[in-house]
Amino acid sequence: MQRLIERAFIEPFHRLAELAWQVLPAVVTVMVILVVGGFLAWLVRRGVYHLLFAAHFNRRVAETRLARAIDRTLIFRSPADCVARVVHGALWLVIVLLALAAVDTTLTQEMLTRFVNYVPDLVTAMLVLLLGSVISKFLARSTLLAAVNAQWAGARLLAGAVRFLVMTLAVVVALEQVRIGRTALLVTFAIIFAGVVIAAAIAFGLGGRDIARQWLEKRVHSTPPQDEEIFHHL
Amino acid sequence: MDNLFPAELKARLDEIGAADLVVGIPSYNNVRTIPHVVRAVVAGLAKYFPERRAILVNSDGGSKDGTQQAVLEAQVDTEALLQVAYPVQPLQRISTPYDGLPGKGSAFRTIFAVAKRLNARACIVVDSDLRSINPDWVELLARPILDRDFDYVAPFYLRHKYDGTITNGIIYPLTRTLFGKRIRQPIGGDFGFSGRLAARYLEKDVWNSDVARFGVDIWMTVTAIAEGFRVSQAYLGAKLHDAKDPGADLTSMFCQVVGSLFSLLETYASVWQHTNGSEAVPMFGFPFEVSVEPIAVNVERMMKGFVQGVTDLRDIYQTFLSHGTLSGLADCAAPRDDFHFPDRLWVHLIYEFAAAWHARELDREHLLQSLVPLYLGRTASFVLETRESSAREVEQRMEQLCEVFEGEKPYLEELWNQLSKKEMSHAASD
Repeated sequence: MQRLIERAFIEPFHRLAELAWQVLPAVVTVMVILVVGGFLAWLVRRGVYHLLFAAHFNRRVAETRLARAIDRTLIFRSPADCVARVVHGALWLVIVLLALAAVDTTLTQEMLTRFVNYVPDLVTAMLVLLLGSVISKFLARSTLLAAVNAQWAGARLLAGAVRFLVMTLAVVVALEQVRIGRTALLVTFAIIFAGVVIAAAIAFGLGGRDIARQWLEKRVHSTPPQDEEIFHHL
Repeated sequence: MDNLFPAELKARLDEIGAADLVVGIPSYNNVRTIPHVVRAVVAGLAKYFPERRAILVNSDGGSKDGTQQAVLEAQVDTEALLQVAYPVQPLQRISTPYDGLPGKGSAFRTIFAVAKRLNARACIVVDSDLRSINPDWVELLARPILDRDFDYVAPFYLRHKYDGTITNGIIYPLTRTLFGKRIRQPIGGDFGFSGRLAARYLEKDVWNSDVARFGVDIWMTVTAIAEGFRVSQAYLGAKLHDAKDPGADLTSMFCQVVGSLFSLLETYASVWQHTNGSEAVPMFGFPFEVSVEPIAVNVERMMKGFVQGVTDLRDIYQTFLSHGTLSGLADCAAPRDDFHFPDRLWVHLIYEFAAAWHARELDREHLLQSLVPLYLGRTASFVLETRESSAREVEQRMEQLCEVFEGEKPYLEELWNQLSKKEMSHAASD
């Protein structure tokens, strides 16, 4: 019985303890790298932001077309914030790679190699998602404003559909980039896209017959201005 | 500057050498009205400035309807000419396509360049869609510059009470409040200006912005005021014209004009922040009563656009409008019989949009587009309120609105100057 208990519980516990003892320095190293590195990255981000702010970076960029592009991301508060966050993200990537390298085992080395090889695809996928998010938000808002100013009843629905479609496309492209469920995703997207187009066509055909007719008439015949068009705003 | 001119035009300008007065007529598919405008200008030059050397410049935006040909063929009515002396110097005409972004501003740029090249003392520009122009306009716009040393003459028209609602609701009150001069039609379209002011306009790097389009009128007016040029007004009577540009919709026109004014607020921030109150500017011409064409307004459609805007664009407005303004808008948009958009709410709204433009709280084009439904609401309210009012009463009502704009100016200054504080607080919160 004594022997059984030793073999069943005590020996595995000792082996686990030995293993933990061997791994502990690496874990501590990883923790230190993450905590210290994270703190340093945060400090660098603040430093970069304040430095750029003091150098009137925002005002300088505001004079260029780049400011408008940053505005349109709807993510960054200002050009200085954009640069600071990009630097922060890049530092975190380096910190994670350092942490993995610090765990000097075959498994981590293999993981690190695979990760490093995977990084370009991952970065591309993230950029695609970021771009998709920015473009979808911008297009959705453009659609919403255009539809409201044209006094279309389903303006919000239309804007939501535009955002959903663009984001879906971005997600499919990103997942394709990181080689996840290629075929299934493409088929799914094709089905969704075709469905939305057909639904929109049917909805427009049934609900917007008058609008379609008026639009076509306006294009084909130059109709005389209606009463409200005589109104000069300038 | 010379790259604005095709080789043929350069040769023509060299041949002409110099001129006292340049008359510019920007055009785009105005074959119906431009012959009348050209005849009126030619008669005006002959009648009032026979001793001056004048050049007529038609700056065309690539018309497809034979506008340029119509300008070249426009003949002065012989009978009318008999009543006045012929010019001592023969009038020469230039009809040229302009370079740059398509729009009225690019057409004006070419006219400024011609004026500078010919060392003109005065320049006037008149719209090519005018039906009410007469020869007197030439004198009224040019005489204050040639004989009284003014640099800028803005038009003063009689218009229907519902005509020019962007002017009445935003452009006039804001220009008057910020830059201190009561120029009633800052975007009238027909102006006179000195050669030195034309040269100053050319120095500005604005030709890739909305100034190159419909924004040019307000840009010219504000630049003249803010840079200390001597400004005046000329009473031209009624303004009757064809549609401004049949292809241009309200949203793009609105964004170009209001965007240009907001942009000028940034350019001349130090000027308007040190301007207090407003004053009348000298007026030339004899004010006379004249009937104006009736205007059809679809109030229901405007109110519908306003209510939809307040509902559908709520998320956008929440990013930069104050709580007070948001609740005011919600209150206005609530279903009720007595629709009313209060002056103070409108003024705060415009100031908050201007500050949001400055702070880049939102993409600037989107910001301006989101103002359009609110402008429709305000216009509908104004139309309902003044339905039974005479033209004089409407002017009094306009005066009240301007007083609210002027009274609330400190609110704009406060919002405007919050930008740097806001940036500092972002830095602190990071």
